[in-house]
Amino acid sequence: MKSPRIMKACTLVAAIGLGTTLAACSSAATDAGSAPANAAAGQDASSPAGTTPPTTDAASTDSSADASTESSTEGAGDGAGSSPAASSPAASNPNVLDPNTKVTLNVVGLLPGSKPDAIKALADEVAQFQKENPNITVKTHDYEWKATTFAADLAGGTLPTVFEIPFTDGKTLIANEQIADMQPYLDQLAYAKEFNKNVLQYGQGPNGDVYAIPAKSVYGVGLHYNRELFTQAGLDPDKPPTSWDEVRAAAKAIAGKTGQAGFAQMSQNGTGGWQLTVDTYARGGRVETNDGDKATATVNNDQTKAALQFLHDLRWTDNSMGANFNYDWGSINQAFAAGKVGMYTSGQDVYTSLVQTNNIDPKSYGLTMIPLQGADSGVLGGGTMAAVTATASSDEKAAAIKWIDFHYLRKYTDQTAAVALAKIQLASKQPVGTPELPIFSEQQYETYKSWIAPLVNVPLDQMTGFTDKILDATLVNEPAVATQDVYAALEPVVQAVLTNKDANIDALLNDANSKAQRAIDAASR
Amino acid sequence: MTLPTRQRIRPPAGRDRGTRKGSGLEGDRGFVSDQDWRRPGVRRTLGGLHLVLLVLLVVIGVGPMLLLAKFAITPTQDIIRTPLAIFPHGIAWSNISQAWNDVQISRYFLNTVWVALGSWFVQLLVATTGGFVLSVLRPKWAALVNALVIATLFVPAVVLLVPLYLTVLHPPVIGTSLINTYWAVWLPAGASAFNVVLMARFFDSLPREIFEAARVDGAGPFRLFASIVLPMSKPILGVVSVFAFIASWKDFLWPMLVLKNPDIQPLSVRLPSIAAQTDLGVFLAALAISTLIPVLLFIGFQRLFLSGAGLGGAVKG
Amino acid sequence: MGAARTLTPPADLEAVATADRPARAGGAGRRSGPLTWVRRGGLSTLVFALPLLVVFGFFSWWPIVRAVVMSFQRTNLVKPATWVGWDNFRYVLTDPDLPVAIRNTAYFALLALVIGFPIPLLLAVLMSSVRRAKGLYSVLAYLPVVVPPVVAVLLWKFFYDGSADGVFNTILGWVGLGPYAWLSSPSLAMPSLVLEATWAAAGGTVIIYLAALIGVPGEVYDAAEVDGAGLWHKVWHVTMPQLRGVLFITFILQIIGTVQVFIEPFLFTGGGPANATQTILLMIYQYAFGRSLGGDYGAATALSVMLAAVLAVLSVLYFRLTASWSKT
Repeated sequence: MKSPRIMKACTLVAAIGLGTTLAACSSAATDAGSAPANAAAGQDASSPAGTTPPTTDAASTDSSADASTESSTEGAGDGAGSSPAASSPAASNPNVLDPNTKVTLNVVGLLPGSKPDAIKALADEVAQFQKENPNITVKTHDYEWKATTFAADLAGGTLPTVFEIPFTDGKTLIANEQIADMQPYLDQLAYAKEFNKNVLQYGQGPNGDVYAIPAKSVYGVGLHYNRELFTQAGLDPDKPPTSWDEVRAAAKAIAGKTGQAGFAQMSQNGTGGWQLTVDTYARGGRVETNDGDKATATVNNDQTKAALQFLHDLRWTDNSMGANFNYDWGSINQAFAAGKVGMYTSGQDVYTSLVQTNNIDPKSYGLTMIPLQGADSGVLGGGTMAAVTATASSDEKAAAIKWIDFHYLRKYTDQTAAVALAKIQLASKQPVGTPELPIFSEQQYETYKSWIAPLVNVPLDQMTGFTDKILDATLVNEPAVATQDVYAALEPVVQAVLTNKDANIDALLNDANSKAQRAIDAASR
Repeated sequence: MTLPTRQRIRPPAGRDRGTRKGSGLEGDRGFVSDQDWRRPGVRRTLGGLHLVLLVLLVVIGVGPMLLLAKFAITPTQDIIRTPLAIFPHGIAWSNISQAWNDVQISRYFLNTVWVALGSWFVQLLVATTGGFVLSVLRPKWAALVNALVIATLFVPAVVLLVPLYLTVLHPPVIGTSLINTYWAVWLPAGASAFNVVLMARFFDSLPREIFEAARVDGAGPFRLFASIVLPMSKPILGVVSVFAFIASWKDFLWPMLVLKNPDIQPLSVRLPSIAAQTDLGVFLAALAISTLIPVLLFIGFQRLFLSGAGLGGAVKG
Repeated sequence: MGAARTLTPPADLEAVATADRPARAGGAGRRSGPLTWVRRGGLSTLVFALPLLVVFGFFSWWPIVRAVVMSFQRTNLVKPATWVGWDNFRYVLTDPDLPVAIRNTAYFALLALVIGFPIPLLLAVLMSSVRRAKGLYSVLAYLPVVVPPVVAVLLWKFFYDGSADGVFNTILGWVGLGPYAWLSSPSLAMPSLVLEATWAAAGGTVIIYLAALIGVPGEVYDAAEVDGAGLWHKVWHVTMPQLRGVLFITFILQIIGTVQVFIEPFLFTGGGPANATQTILLMIYQYAFGRSLGGDYGAATALSVMLAAVLAVLSVLYFRLTASWSKT
């Protein structure tokens, strides 16, 4: 039926860019053989390999062939679009901020309720920035992106000038003209052309210009576990589970021995659908396919069913999921840091937030790969981009790029900046060195890690289960069309399975599928 | 339209106040007569019932708040593991100071007061001046305005949610968005038909002869309003004030939509958004502090609250 | 005339219409001119009316008109609004979540009535017979009402913790019950919401009943006692009929209020688990504000308008009945 080789290439495409959606790929893959036309490749030196799972030689052959496809079909990439060459001298550029122009820049800061140490670290960073740019005054605002409140912020014009969005929102915001074209400003940065293309594409408009800039938290979903609970349950914290069956067994052991939830699952505020998609990908399924312009919901697939059945078994057969089934991103972190959760899945970078807002004990933290089973299985990946409101003045945009450079990006390419920032964070006991996926090239990321290595204060050796393997894994994008609506359609299904023993998974998924399809259709209505 | 409680909202008549004690809710007699009370069966049954009632009220009404007070000074781990044990590992006073300083409950508390004060002022301003026009000045167009005001009583608040939000976002004439300003909460609060109607009905019941006499003495509408109508309306002003203050203290959805900047948010908006990022003990301490102030206000002004609630509930539609 | 013009908010149709009138009516005809109008107090009247006209114009009348208009439009605030006829209504009415939300809202209202209607009545009747420290009873009963609803919900959310160590589960464990899943159970979630809502609101209803009970004139009881009526008879045949009016009013008001329930499902469960607490107002919120990429304001207002139509019928009923009662 499906050629595994092509599917592999396809997930590569998804991970690597071109704006080709994952869904298009998997449907293309069904008529085997035509896929490589869509596929773009990871092995090209210019498209950094952070997220690439090259492994098979077949894939690499595909890749080299596809590198040309990329430039010919898409034509976008970096400079090739409408944007002028990055080499234009800054001095005469109207997009460069005049040092005598005073600008006040509103930017996103920390999560609401962050610890004083984190607040101080950010304040120090701002002070440092303002010292470098005396004409710019930076005001930080608490910010937590939530699917359920972002629209109101957006419509209300109450977002800070520089704000953060998930990868999945970029295209729609660009189409709605709600974020500014930052290409001319981005061109001022020396590393403008060095972005990992598969990461950059999320923020590119139809003309190839970059609107939203990949900024942080480029993640693959990992399995986070509490080492102390593992020990208490008689499990070896250095040998975390590698299959779903082992996850189940470990969860059962933890619940039985410690009374805490062995495994917990997010199910609120859109996270339920997100995590079910994660679980589906990990078993090789997809929740949406994309054929040209038409997206189709496929949430009633066997892998999603298997994922739900897994949750059902843990919840109702083993009773190893504790008593709280109302978690969202923030509250599951809180429960995990408080030692109430043995294992859960979330973005790999969540450790930073666990420290900044939840006071986690570093000794108890462990991170490993989410188990990947079945053909086409992959790790759901995503990330955060920095965007600038469409209404920003050119001075604000010019100031914004300086902040984006300073706050998010410079550290990856400039040793002095990397060390300085790390020192600020270290001084306030903020986590330094939480594993990320490369925004630039993998080499660049390795170099960056070596710069800050002496300052790292996160327990990297407790995360090797993840960091050793993620670069070889397949990263799969989130659903491309109506992402949050598809998640919203899936969420009640997750909740039903977790709270109703007799939940009929097939019927629920059929319902969810028609809801998701309705949302997909409405997205273009 | 006749409001059912009209009879009970009487103009000042300061004298009968002396006869009312406590909450102002004690009538001369209930369904139990003095004879009834003398019968031992009745006395025992009713007395017993009253005792049970008292215990129930304390346990159910006050219990959760006492628990909250206990949690506010209990170490987080104890709250999670043994919520009802009495301080097995000592008392954590630090919860309170952390809530007050780190979580900055003090600031959000002041924001809440500020929101409530502004809403109170706008509501009182609109209700008194509006009621004055509709009831005392009575221009010919008053009937139309009155009808339009009353018509809004039939429109539930939910209908206004979206259009009101969009109006505040792009107000006609003014042009600049009111989002993230307190005006976005204060001004819409003023559009309370209930307040206007209540006030106008009260003014209706004031003796007309006094107005006429004042006019003959040469008092213009401003003097009439400030020196005669307002001073005679203290009871209703108190009632409307309590409503206004409490309503704005409790409001959640609307401030959440229009006050996006955390620095200016009231407690009701801020507390849910920090719940997941705050240590449980500290968070419960924050809840306790947020509860304490209105409870103290209530105990201090219970008479005003209860008489307001007694007549207000019936017409708040 | 000029004065009237400059002082009115021109954007508002009704406000203009109403403010135009004083110039003519209050000014005793056009012939007399603006000066006469001012001298007769037209201007000061308008000054007094101004806060009401401005505030109601901007924040009540105009949004109401706009709600109706918007329910026939599609807009996301970014692109210009387009006229779509009944499309929004069709979209909302075919939303598979709508029947669920209607059912849940009705269920909430029903539960709130079943729990929240008789209990306060019983409490009030009992409390009205208290002789000493009646004020204390009232204060205790009313205390939960002054707790800010958000605080109450967040506190109860903690109480409802589904583990055996949860507050309620610990208490019930003492008598051998539970542990219950509370908010994590599709069947218990809604009753849990109602329980909290009743706790928070019952005190207000008690005080209303109490005020009404005290309003019952003593002579009515005196008369009944002359006829030899016992206690129970008095409560049932004298007190209750006297309360008929206020009971019906609270009944209607409670329905109108509970249909608009928002804070509880929003903060307790977000509509879950598995849509068990999804309500109409939550749907409106989600249409308008709950989607990450631009609200569907048309669908939100269309649903609001339909809900309002239903509630308006109840309100009219309420006012007609109260009006007819106060005549008798």
